[in-house]
Order: sequence, then C-alpha cells, then structure tokens
Amino acid sequence: MGDAAAALVVDDLHKRFGELEVLKGVSLTAEVGDVIAMIGASGSGKSTFLRCINLLEIPDSGRVMVGGELIRMQPTRNGHARPEDRHQVDRIRSRLGMVFQSFNLWSHMTVLQNVMEAPVHVLKLGKAEAQARAQALLEKVGIGDKGNYYPAHLSGGQQQRAAIARALAMEPQVMLFDEPTSALDPELVGEVLRVMRQLAEEGRTMIVVTHEMGFAREVASEVIFLHQGRIEEQGPPAEVFGNPKSERMKQFLRGVR
Amino acid sequence: MNLEVIFDNWRFLAEGVILTLEITLLSLAIGLVLAVPAALMRLSRNPLVSMPIYAYIFYFRGTPLLVQLFLIYYGSGQFREQLEAIGLWQFFREPYFCAVLTLTLNTTAYTAEILRGAIQAVPHGEVEAARACGMSGALLYRRIILPKAFRVGLPAYTNEVVFLFQATSLVSIISLLDLTGVARILISRSFAAYEIWIFAGAIYLAISYSLIFFFRKVEHRWSGHLRDRPGAQAAAVEEAVALR
Repeated sequence: MGDAAAALVVDDLHKRFGELEVLKGVSLTAEVGDVIAMIGASGSGKSTFLRCINLLEIPDSGRVMVGGELIRMQPTRNGHARPEDRHQVDRIRSRLGMVFQSFNLWSHMTVLQNVMEAPVHVLKLGKAEAQARAQALLEKVGIGDKGNYYPAHLSGGQQQRAAIARALAMEPQVMLFDEPTSALDPELVGEVLRVMRQLAEEGRTMIVVTHEMGFAREVASEVIFLHQGRIEEQGPPAEVFGNPKSERMKQFLRGVR
Repeated sequence: MNLEVIFDNWRFLAEGVILTLEITLLSLAIGLVLAVPAALMRLSRNPLVSMPIYAYIFYFRGTPLLVQLFLIYYGSGQFREQLEAIGLWQFFREPYFCAVLTLTLNTTAYTAEILRGAIQAVPHGEVEAARACGMSGALLYRRIILPKAFRVGLPAYTNEVVFLFQATSLVSIISLLDLTGVARILISRSFAAYEIWIFAGAIYLAISYSLIFFFRKVEHRWSGHLRDRPGAQAAAVEEAVALR
C-alpha cells in the first residue's frame, strides 16, 4: 500500500431491500487521518452505508476499496451481488474496526478477553502480547481497572469504550462508528465522545455515523448529509453547518437544534 | 426385610452399576460429539442437508425409546445376510452394541435439537461483531457461537443427561445385565422384590443427583456473566446500612 492510496474509497454504492432502494449511489473518499461524519434523518441510509463498507450488508453494486485494495464482487442472477472471495472479506474486515450502536460485546467473556479475542484468533498474535495490548487500550479508553469484569457489569458508556478498545486492538486502518452514542444515557455520551475525539486527534481515519451535531461540527474534517439514499450536502463542517445550501439540510438542522 | 440378598450379591450389583454407567457415558459422549454437526446441518439453508437430519430427529423424538431399541436389536436380525455381507452382523448381534447405538442415536437427536435452539438464541449483534473482526466459518463457531450456545443449552442438556441415564434401564429388556437387569435376576432368585427395587432405585437416585450436581457446577462456572457483579451484594448491604 503506497502513500498515494486513500484509506477508504467508496464508489457509487447502491443497496435495495426488496422494493425499497436505501442507497442510490453514494460515494466517499477518506484520506488517511480524515474524520468523516455522516449525518441525516433516520432512514436516510447512513447506517446501511456504513454496514456496506465492511460487507455486513452486501451492496448491490458499487465499489469499496480499503487501503487501495478493491473488494472483489460478482453480480448474482437476481440483481444483487456477492463477494468473490470470502477470505478477502475476512481480511478486509480485520482491517476495519467497527463500533456498534448496541456495543455487541461478547457477553460470556470478560472485557479483557473481548479485547484479546480477535488479535489472538484472527491476527494470530501471541497471548502475552495481545494481553499487553488489550490492557494498554483499556487504560487508554479509561477502563484499565475493568478488564476482569463481564460486559453486563459495566455501564453503557464503559461498555462502548470497551467496544472501541476491542476494535482498536486489531490496529485497523479505518474505524467505523455506527451511532456509537445513540443507545447511551445522556450523561454517558460525553465519556464516549471524549475517547473518539482523542482518536481523531491522534490522526485515526474514522467514518462516524452520528446524531451528535456538536461532535460532527468540532471534530470532523468532512461532513456528509444523506437524504433518502443520496448525498444531499457535503463539505467541511464550518461550511455545511454555517452555510447549508440545500433546503433539506436547513430543515434537518432546524430539527436537531 | 431381606437385606442379605443385597450384601451377598454386592459384586453382581456393582457390575450392573458399572454397565449402566458405561452405557450412559458412552452414548452421551458419542451423542454430544455427533450433535454438533447434526445441529449445524439442521440449521443449513440447503434442504438437501437439513431435511434428512430433520427426518432423523423427527423419528427419534417422536417414537418411544423402547420401540427404537426393539427395532435395532430385533429388526436387524431380518437383515442378517446383508449385514453379514458388509461385516456388520458381528456388531448387530450383540445387545451391548445395539443398546449403545440406540441410546446414542436417541440422545444425538435430542441434543441436536437443544443445540439448534441454543445456536439460534445467540444474539445476532454478537455474531455480527465477530464477523466485523474478520471471523467467519469454523472460527466463528468455535470461538463465539458454540461457546455461547453451550451456555444457553446447558440446563436443557442436564435434563437430557438425567433422562438418558434413567432410560438405560430399558436395555435390561434386551438381556443386558445393567443395574435393572441384575435386579431382575436377583428378584427371580430370591423373591425379595421390595428390597431390591428400593436398593436399585436408591442407586439410580444417587447417580442422578450426582449428575445434576456436576452439571450445576459447570453451569456456575460458565455463567459468571449472568450473575451480579462481584462484591455488588456486599456493596448493596453497606449502602442499606449507611442509609439507615
């Protein structure tokens, strides 16, 4: 992977669920260190778009390139598509860290085991090394003393920070955040956003689907506003928030303020 | 009370207990190993894979164990020539083999159903999180889905183990000398039915509860994530005291 390759390129993504066309050609380029905030009303397709990047949803058409590597897809007879090579998908997924709205920690494992699991079994990292890495990451997200707890014994904010540590443990090229604070009590949102802000400042490439306009405005390098499966407005946050061009964006901003 | 018949024949009874345990453990061990692929096949989206397993489970759950035992032990006699031709008759003429085969097939069917339900109960989000980390196929099953499914299915499986253990008493009908078989012979010799059945029942009871005790231990070990946080109870008591 040369310096020239963008961290993530998504080109003309389409996705249909039955009759409903959720994505009608969405593209995005994230250079290394970019923080792209995706905003939009619920149902605008932003979560689906994020899930198409690591193929948790299979896009019907369009291209996804991670660090210059194209995910090879083949069309199916019924108008959808499927990946050509499952191993490539696994490999690419291991390079994309995903943080879910509902944390999705493995509930039968302790927090430390959660963070060690994929490095040990996917990256084949040694146990001692994985444990050291996991402990360091838990400390980084501020729950270094919670490694031996089960997820259910932590607050939502702590669980989400553990989930961020789990994603970071794979040393991903791009972090994908799918509404990471939407399932949290208001007073717990701040601690998760602080961690994400810290990651952005370290120069991590991040795609963040969010309803936190403050975060998008202050942390993102680019904001994308999705409406009914299309990009309606796109640009630096100051421009998109300060001087929205589309009527829908103006409406949306009035609604969330 | 004629307790002498028990003391005098303790070695014979002990052999019966050992045979009972042997048949139970053998069938359970093989059944558990077979149940994993059976459950996975049952869950397959390909009907050519799932339908045969479904039919097998349907039969073994839907008919009495005794009928299954008779079918395999007596039924195989009709196919003696064919079984001889492929070298299997030496097995099917042995009641021990037929008993273990029947019990294994029976417990595999039940265990596969328990496991199928448990696999389907694994939270979708946790499976998705594993996929997002690059896990798939065998690794995903080995590390995430099956460990979770075993935890979910364990209470139901405990019942299956106890049921199968008690059901082994049926093998005495095809002439095996398990605990029940030995008890029947001793009664026919001594007519001390009351004493011997109470004794046999007590042995079954003791072993059943040992099995339940063992599985309760395993369940406890596996369910730390379902219990209250360590120290939470003490903290709650402290808090209650402080508030008073």
